[in-house]
Amino acid sequence: MIKLLKVEWMKIRGYNAFIVISAFFALGVFASNYLAYSFKKNVIDPADPTGLISAGSPFGFPNVWQTVSYYSGLMLLLPGLLLLILVTNEFTYRTHRQNIIDGISRNQFTQVKLLMGVIIALVSTLLVFIAALLFGFFVNTGSFSLTGIGNVWFFFLKALTYNFIAILIGVLVRRTGFAIAVFFIYTALENGISILLLVWAINIKKDHNIDLGNMGNYLPMNASDGLLYSPFDSFTNMANKFLPADYTWLVFSLAIIYLALFYFWSQRRMLKSDL
Amino acid sequence: MTILSVENLCKNYGRVQALKGVSFSVPKGTVFGILGPNGSGKTTMLGIIMDILKPTSGSYKLFDADPDETFRRKIGTFLETPNFYHYLSAQKNLEIAAAIKERGADDIPRVLELVNLTQRKDSRFSTYSLGMKQRLSIASCLLGDPEVLILDEPTNGLDPVGIAEIRQLIKQLHQQGKTIIMASHLLDEVEKVCTHVAILKKGGLVATGDVNEILATEDIVEVGATDVKQLASIIGNMQGYNSIRENDKMLQLFYPVGTANIESINKYCFSNGVVLNHLQLKKKSLEAKFFELTN
Repeated sequence: MIKLLKVEWMKIRGYNAFIVISAFFALGVFASNYLAYSFKKNVIDPADPTGLISAGSPFGFPNVWQTVSYYSGLMLLLPGLLLLILVTNEFTYRTHRQNIIDGISRNQFTQVKLLMGVIIALVSTLLVFIAALLFGFFVNTGSFSLTGIGNVWFFFLKALTYNFIAILIGVLVRRTGFAIAVFFIYTALENGISILLLVWAINIKKDHNIDLGNMGNYLPMNASDGLLYSPFDSFTNMANKFLPADYTWLVFSLAIIYLALFYFWSQRRMLKSDL
Repeated sequence: MTILSVENLCKNYGRVQALKGVSFSVPKGTVFGILGPNGSGKTTMLGIIMDILKPTSGSYKLFDADPDETFRRKIGTFLETPNFYHYLSAQKNLEIAAAIKERGADDIPRVLELVNLTQRKDSRFSTYSLGMKQRLSIASCLLGDPEVLILDEPTNGLDPVGIAEIRQLIKQLHQQGKTIIMASHLLDEVEKVCTHVAILKKGGLVATGDVNEILATEDIVEVGATDVKQLASIIGNMQGYNSIRENDKMLQLFYPVGTANIESINKYCFSNGVVLNHLQLKKKSLEAKFFELTN
């Protein structure tokens, strides 16, 4: 597998899209967090001295792990987009066929793409970890703490989900432009359906006193999204009276099940179909 | 040793049968042509052998063993179109191919020189002409000096000089003892370089064997006389030809290659009271033979 990873690296190291998207993502992680930090400091805090919307210091330890993971999560479409392009490029240039002709098995071809998804998720997570450390020390409102670092792990799970969905769409759709459209439309559509499901769950809770949980988080992308909560605690706490419960264990289990589904579906598609 | 053996290979695309139970084998050291018109199933068959298409039924073996990716690394294969990363140079693309094949990285300068691409090795693949792309594919096949090459329409897109060079290269490789499997719809190409041939038509195998036996041409002698019926009756008693075909004005006599003697035919007819007004020896073209086999 090391050999195959080296081959993947040879494919992408001189690829402009890889360099540009990676740079945008790295920049986006810091920029999105800095914007949120600046907005909290310069807009919310002066307007909300009682801490009704957000109390405390979201960018100080230990809250910074959750805050940076949450805002960086908003940038995760970029690594997904990168993987989508890397997968569909193979179909566009028909190099998936040539790789297999030259001596990679179909199984290895899929495995190494999925492994790339894991590696890109790991590198993204490392970047988030570093960003959280930097923000935490920069804001310096509390002493260093690893409490809440589990959010960084949830970020990894979310990154992996986005990457695996991108790979699956790439393998199923094959054409770059069409696949990118499907990726973005699917993301928007799932978020829309997720809100409808949440409203439905709220109504059921209100009318029948049955708490089905936040059903919006039971969908593939939203399952891993739902594990990362908004850092505006006070605001969320107020809303929680009306919202269904967060069954974290259920959402986490679903996120893992969806990951396994994307993994095996991508693999099966490559193993069984004509290339 | 048999390099490739195909056993009852079938491939269906919905209702369309692209391959209908094809079986043949490729002996070591041959230049094996897979010949057939467009859409006869040549590329489909090679695609199955390279595991990019799944057969509906049937099986195949490479090097007398059940195939896997390690066998494919021993074969230099060019299938249908040149497939490379457009944003990378020829050099980088060949480095990727060599890394996958696990051999040939130090062989890149040699193969680039063989196909006259050394000067353009650092240009991006997307800037290449069709002929250059085709030559880069051939270079990739030659990486690591494989014992077996599979080439699908290797001269497509090449200019006449390029075509002659590739043919010369194939002959040289054959002399070095390599086995070459080559799909083509060009009879001329197969006739000039192949030692063995399999002919496909609409997914079925029409014939396979030594190229001189399968594509052996015949001598055709055309004879004509004022009274064609009388001519036909005396020719009917003549020996030596394989078959006869009659039309309104003349007869066509089909002889094994090199056996027709028009002097003796003329003499025979005259001595039997028929004066010929037309006598001509024609070589049956390879093309006519191909049409006969595939139509």
